[in-house]
Amino acid sequence: MRVLGILLTLACYAACKWLYRRVHVVWLNPMITSLVAIVALLRIAHISYAAYDMSARWLTAFLGPATVAFAVPLYRHFPVLKAHWPEFLLSLTFGSATGITGSVLLARLLRLNHIVVTSVAPRSVTTPIAMDISQAIGGIPTLTAVFVILTGITGVIVGPWLLRLLRLQSPVARGALFGMGSHGIGTARAFEYGAMEGTCSSLAMIVAAFITLALAPPLVNALG
Amino acid sequence: MRSVLEASRLKQAGFTAVQIAVLYGMTALCNAAVRWLHLSVPGSIVGVLLVFLLLKSGVVKLSWLERGADFLIRELLLFFIPSSVGVMAYAHLMKQDGLKVMAVVVVGTALVMTVTGSVAELVWRVRNRQANDARTEPNEVNAS
Repeated sequence: MRVLGILLTLACYAACKWLYRRVHVVWLNPMITSLVAIVALLRIAHISYAAYDMSARWLTAFLGPATVAFAVPLYRHFPVLKAHWPEFLLSLTFGSATGITGSVLLARLLRLNHIVVTSVAPRSVTTPIAMDISQAIGGIPTLTAVFVILTGITGVIVGPWLLRLLRLQSPVARGALFGMGSHGIGTARAFEYGAMEGTCSSLAMIVAAFITLALAPPLVNALG
Repeated sequence: MRSVLEASRLKQAGFTAVQIAVLYGMTALCNAAVRWLHLSVPGSIVGVLLVFLLLKSGVVKLSWLERGADFLIRELLLFFIPSSVGVMAYAHLMKQDGLKVMAVVVVGTALVMTVTGSVAELVWRVRNRQANDARTEPNEVNAS
């Protein structure tokens, strides 16, 4: 089992990415298909998650470095951030606060379990940081990882529709909408509108992570 | 010809691997520092700021890291597959509350996007108007 978990994950990921390139349907996002395939295979082979993760956690170890890697696009596109910092700062602060309070209030309205509430609250930011925030506010990081993906896919479907409804003219607003609402998955979609939209989306995603990290613990505490 | 091409690809892969190792080492260093200083910030966040400042100050050149960084970001999905497979352990929770959770995610995401997009658009319009006013101010003074 030592390398089997890694090999299984790599093989499923490669196959699912190939499938997504051939059949470009939102629901066939490699994240979803890989997850379904691996869970199914583990179930069939009667392998527990703990045994799988013993090996696969070597891949998880790269989440930290992948987060640090975001310093590169931040550096590359810093002039755009500098030119539009009031747009980014205000929209992402309001967006992040809406994400946290909205999730907590909605989840409570539906009488969801407390652990689900704290796991769902930080789901709008990119996975590694969402998992860190989740841990800090008493959620289950693993559950948060799943919510982050669901959020990303939801954003890709809802985003273009909202963009038309709100009649957004500015590429900064269009980019911020995707970057804040559905992180990396949304950023890929934002690039389909234009380079400026995509750049703004990736910047929004990085800055949103910082803002959510600062806002989540006090907000969740206050809503306690 | 083909072997030359393959050799250069191998060399590029080597660069990427070394750069990933450097990013990995920096992350480990930041995690250790955060633990040692008892900070409540994740080490990876400290790492983003540190690497950004190193690039900005010119201590580290972009070309030293960009291959590795671009690779990690491009394949980000791969690294969180194992964690999300962990949902297996919470199958009972999802079976019980799956629909409600989906409702929170869908409504919540639409809310976040609406607020973010609207605020950014509003600020953008106000700043554009200010910029235009500043440019046309002399004419307006004459007109009045």
